Amino acid sequence: MVQQGTGKKNLLEILIITAGFFVVLPILGINRTTDFIIFCIFVLGFNLLYGYMGRLSFGHMLYLGTGAYAVTLFTEHVSRNPFLAVLAGICAGALIGVIIGPLVVRTTGACFALINLAFNQVGHFLALVAFSKYTGGEDGMSAYFSKIGFIDFSKKPIIFGFVLICLLLTYYLLRKLTSSPYGVLIKSIKENETRVKFLGYNTFRYKWITFIISTSIAAFAGALTILNYGYVTPSFIDPSRAVEVIFATLIGGAGSLYGAIIGGVAYMALSNYLASYISRWEMFLGIALLIVVFRFRAGVWGYIVGKFRKKAEVLER
Amino acid sequence: MINTIAYGLTIGAILYIISIGLSLTFGTMRIVNFAHGLIYTIGAYLLITILPFARGNFVLGAALAVLAVIPISYIVERFVIRKLYGVSIDYAIIATYAVVLIGIDLIKWIWGASPIPLSDPVGIDVTLAGVTLPLYRLLIIIFALVIFGVLTVFFKKTMVGKIVVAALEDKDAVKSLGISVDKYFAIIFVIGSCLAALGGVLYAPITSVHPYMGMTVLLLSFAVVLVGGLGNIKGTFVSAFVLGLVMAITGRFWGPAAETMVFVVMGIMLVFRPIEV
Repeated sequence: MVQQGTGKKNLLEILIITAGFFVVLPILGINRTTDFIIFCIFVLGFNLLYGYMGRLSFGHMLYLGTGAYAVTLFTEHVSRNPFLAVLAGICAGALIGVIIGPLVVRTTGACFALINLAFNQVGHFLALVAFSKYTGGEDGMSAYFSKIGFIDFSKKPIIFGFVLICLLLTYYLLRKLTSSPYGVLIKSIKENETRVKFLGYNTFRYKWITFIISTSIAAFAGALTILNYGYVTPSFIDPSRAVEVIFATLIGGAGSLYGAIIGGVAYMALSNYLASYISRWEMFLGIALLIVVFRFRAGVWGYIVGKFRKKAEVLER
Repeated sequence: MINTIAYGLTIGAILYIISIGLSLTFGTMRIVNFAHGLIYTIGAYLLITILPFARGNFVLGAALAVLAVIPISYIVERFVIRKLYGVSIDYAIIATYAVVLIGIDLIKWIWGASPIPLSDPVGIDVTLAGVTLPLYRLLIIIFALVIFGVLTVFFKKTMVGKIVVAALEDKDAVKSLGISVDKYFAIIFVIGSCLAALGGVLYAPITSVHPYMGMTVLLLSFAVVLVGGLGNIKGTFVSAFVLGLVMAITGRFWGPAAETMVFVVMGIMLVFRPIEV
């Protein structure tokens, strides 16, 4: 089952993704494309936890928001170097994963979802009320980044390039991870954790590590969001937005890296464009979610793969 | 201080009335039902619609609103929840959340998004041990105690109740006795939904009615259910009142932290006693 991705194949995939975003770039404009790419990073991180390890977090905005606030506070109090700030954001995400990981990964299913939601609620409260002196409360606060040589993050093409490189890096890292024995192990935890334990693995440790990777990637996406927008508000940590990333993962197809990227782009396209055409947007989203859950569980990518497999089988005969 | 405790008991009473349905669906069907909060909201909105027809008679309006929820909850059960039995719990969460999205948008469409205030239907204050309290709050607490009593009798004495209690323990064993468990689950679901609507109706005069009122209460009810134990009828009762008091006492010292404190308690409980679902 372990498919060792060869270097050439990985390179090809990365080229395809890059080409894909350059194709949509003139259609969407550079601002939206940057947004889309950042959201795709977030979905990739969520997908590792939900699609691969089967743990549905209903409070993943907490980790995105942690990254966002960490970057803003870092630029405010420590240094305005954008690279260091993003690094600080990732570290903050990893730190929160390390701290609350042991508490949440022991639970499964509904408890996992709800305890994440509870933590998100607490985080939202901390950012909005308790630490409003430092976070600016409801108004949020701005972040300013200094120039490093020719890299000036106030210029949109530079952000676009940087964000795209970040996405490719995340993608490459996750591709390597999920095709390694570790990837097989977390997929096995999704299928049957008791058996994995029986084989002598310490599942708790692997679940914890996966959780930390997922929170770090989410925080990474949050950090990049701040780099793009230049300000942070409590809406970045609002638990009621957690459904966005779940929906994106489901549309694309959980448990596949391509699916995550397709889902991220599809969800952003839906929410950006459909909302302006359909006034009853929430209802549309709800009905779409019901259809996905009842009829279309494999998502877009799963559907394509399924079709492709059938054709291949027919050809073989 | 007595005032704070009375306030906490009122919140606890409301939380109990709402959580009991959630606890039963969670315990019997293993389904996390986000739509429960929607039913609660619908109950409050129906009360607002019905009140003018009931000539401002609160009791009649409340009773009609609770009864009107029965067909709505049956539709939700028949077309969404029933299809989710035995399916992965993640899909149940997502599907019921989708129902909430649709429902909230429908509410905004029909009643508008702005909050609607409602006045205290009793409007009399009573003085107990030197403290003045609105009679309405006392009535809510008494009401919750009555519901607890009725439910206890229902689960101990009636056939439907006994079957549900048995199914909470071991669903397959009950099935093997030739009892159609799903039918009883549907009954329990409708009863639970009616209680949620009742909670909404009773709480509406204390807060204002708005489309998202169900979501906060739903999160609090989840906390009650997780602290009290899934499908544990007595545990839910105790944990609702304890968490209500936690909210009131925290709120007395630092208002905005009241709801957060409930989740802190829930987190601590889950750490020391994780629940396997």
